[in-house]
Amino acid sequence: MPWYLYLALKQLFPSGKWLSFFTAISILGVALGVATLVVTNSVMGGFGYEIRRMIIDTQGDVQIRARSLIEDSGPLLSSVAKVPGVVGVTPFAEGVGMLEYGRKPAFPLIQGVDVNRVNDVIPLSRFIRVGSLDELDDDTVILSSQLAYSLGVHIGGKVTISSPLLIERLKNDEVFLPRELVVVGIFEIGHQQLDSNTVLVTLRRMQDLYGLGEAIHGVNVKIADGLDADAMAARINAVLPEASDMRAHSWINANSEFLFVLQMEKNLVSILLLFIILVASFSIMSSLLTTVVRKTREIGLLGALGGRSREIAACFCVQGFLIGLIGTGTGLALGFGFLHLRNDILLLFTRLTGSQEALERFYQFSNVPAHMESADLVMIVVGTIVISTLAGIFPAWRASRLNPVEALRNE
Amino acid sequence: MSDAVARNVLGGSAMSNFILKACDLHKTYLSGERRLEVLHGVSLSVSDGESVSIRGESGSGKSTLLHLLAGLDVPDSGTVHWEGVPDTGARQRARFLGMVFQSFYLIPELDAVGNVLMAARVAGKVGAIERQRAQDLLARVGLSERGHHLPSQLSGGERQRVAVARALMNAPRLILADEPTGNLDEKTGDSIIDLLLGLCSEQRIALVLVTHNAVHAARTARMLFMRDGVLQNTNL
Ligand SMILES: Nc1ncnc2c1ncn2[C@@H]1O[C@H](COP(=O)(O)OP(=O)(O)O)[C@@H](O)[C@H]1O
Ligand SMILES: [Mg+2]
Repeated sequence: MPWYLYLALKQLFPSGKWLSFFTAISILGVALGVATLVVTNSVMGGFGYEIRRMIIDTQGDVQIRARSLIEDSGPLLSSVAKVPGVVGVTPFAEGVGMLEYGRKPAFPLIQGVDVNRVNDVIPLSRFIRVGSLDELDDDTVILSSQLAYSLGVHIGGKVTISSPLLIERLKNDEVFLPRELVVVGIFEIGHQQLDSNTVLVTLRRMQDLYGLGEAIHGVNVKIADGLDADAMAARINAVLPEASDMRAHSWINANSEFLFVLQMEKNLVSILLLFIILVASFSIMSSLLTTVVRKTREIGLLGALGGRSREIAACFCVQGFLIGLIGTGTGLALGFGFLHLRNDILLLFTRLTGSQEALERFYQFSNVPAHMESADLVMIVVGTIVISTLAGIFPAWRASRLNPVEALRNE
Repeated sequence: MSDAVARNVLGGSAMSNFILKACDLHKTYLSGERRLEVLHGVSLSVSDGESVSIRGESGSGKSTLLHLLAGLDVPDSGTVHWEGVPDTGARQRARFLGMVFQSFYLIPELDAVGNVLMAARVAGKVGAIERQRAQDLLARVGLSERGHHLPSQLSGGERQRVAVARALMNAPRLILADEPTGNLDEKTGDSIIDLLLGLCSEQRIALVLVTHNAVHAARTARMLFMRDGVLQNTNL
């Protein structure tokens, strides 16, 4: 081991003492910064992850839409299903309608799903809280939880649904009677907007309500795990009929603005938190500078023993690096330890403040999500160690500039 | 006159045996407006295993001279040769030279053995042989039981013993000691000088001892006096 490395270690961890006080403070500063970064990044990443998963769970990985109606969906479905990597396809039709229950109106988004295939793409059964997806047929309907709650409708209740087609027909002096459907299920996805105002009917019922005939609005596609959604969208586009105006979009592409905002939010918070590391690096720098001043005579002595100035510089640089390394390690342990216990900590907090119910009501879940991208973790670790090492450079430069004679005279 | 002094100070004519040879060293400090000519043509040659003492008033330039001899500072003019070579660089220093200072300069984070071994570390080699030598040297200076004590747990005299052991660690050809007893009481100082002189003659190491103590100076083979920026031979 080169002497400067040995001495750096000894100055950080002197014989007979576990840790020097200065070192402990510096390491703690870095560790707190890293822990905060890890926890924040991971919880924010967790929310983002949940939201992404929800988008995929409700739209599929890839969605095919057209500006006009898709008339002949049979060949389309079979050709898309044959694309390698596609594991499920399901057609859909959607639109706004008026729903009435006990003279209370609502204007929900109506989703027409193919009950035979929808579970291949969208895990709908997982979201059903009451009732069952199996009972959905052309005369029944499944409501979102908030909608059912606000209308006060229960399983077995009868609602009527009418569509803009009603007005269309009236113009031609025809009569279009609202359809009466029985509620057979209530679902909850965990997304405010979808849960507040959505109803599920069969595709055929939706085609009837909107007068679509056999036409559909689009197709949701599920792709195999691990495949890139954008690449798959491109592959699917290649098999779509040339003449049509159908396009396949990945969920990433279709929600790019929303995803951008999510990512932006996370990055901004990370950058703000990086300032904690910067502040910690100043504490490393000032503690190492103090050390250089305190150890002026020893630095002179090292010169007298035959140490070169760049080795003396290395001794202090290594100390910055080691503080960064140990601080990062401690910070990771603290951060992941906290994340591991996050739900217990939250529970304790809500109990102490009596806010448990409010939390569940507003955030729709009682568990805190956590998800960390490995790239973010690498960024935090590398960034912290680099910043800490840089913090050692100025004190190191000061130490190496000391003239050994002046240093030895420093009585 | 200074020529005559120089010739006297140079001693005999066996130039090739000189372990240390300094010629016509000049050093001037600028303190504010004033130019302070500290060394005014100092020449000194020390042969292998020889012990030399330098006395002189405080501020006469003894430490300045030692720093030039150690290659820690550069003269305004003049030359310093170690073993006939004008290289006084850091790598050479680790191998060739040991130094003892008035204020010990031990590294507080290292125990006694660690401090002695530090010399070997800087020179680039710490193995079983070096560890054994460090133990032996500590035993030789009477601290065999104190190897794992930190400097803060040692008395002044004991610290200086550790510093002496450190100076001897790399088996140097020359030891420069700058008032090694200056911070010690008389009895402890005497024992340090005993050690230094004893070890140097034992291991045939040349010694340049700066001291205020006439008794200590008298125990060296040659006594010099620093005055008016030159070295004078007190035997004159
Ligand atoms: N860096 C410096 N700048 C100005 N004057 C100095 C410097 N170093 C030493 N001196 C002066 O040089 C003179 C000799 O100092 P020094 O060699 O330490 O004397 P000694 O060791 O004989 O007591 C003193 O007057 C001291 O003040
Ligand atoms: Mg002096």
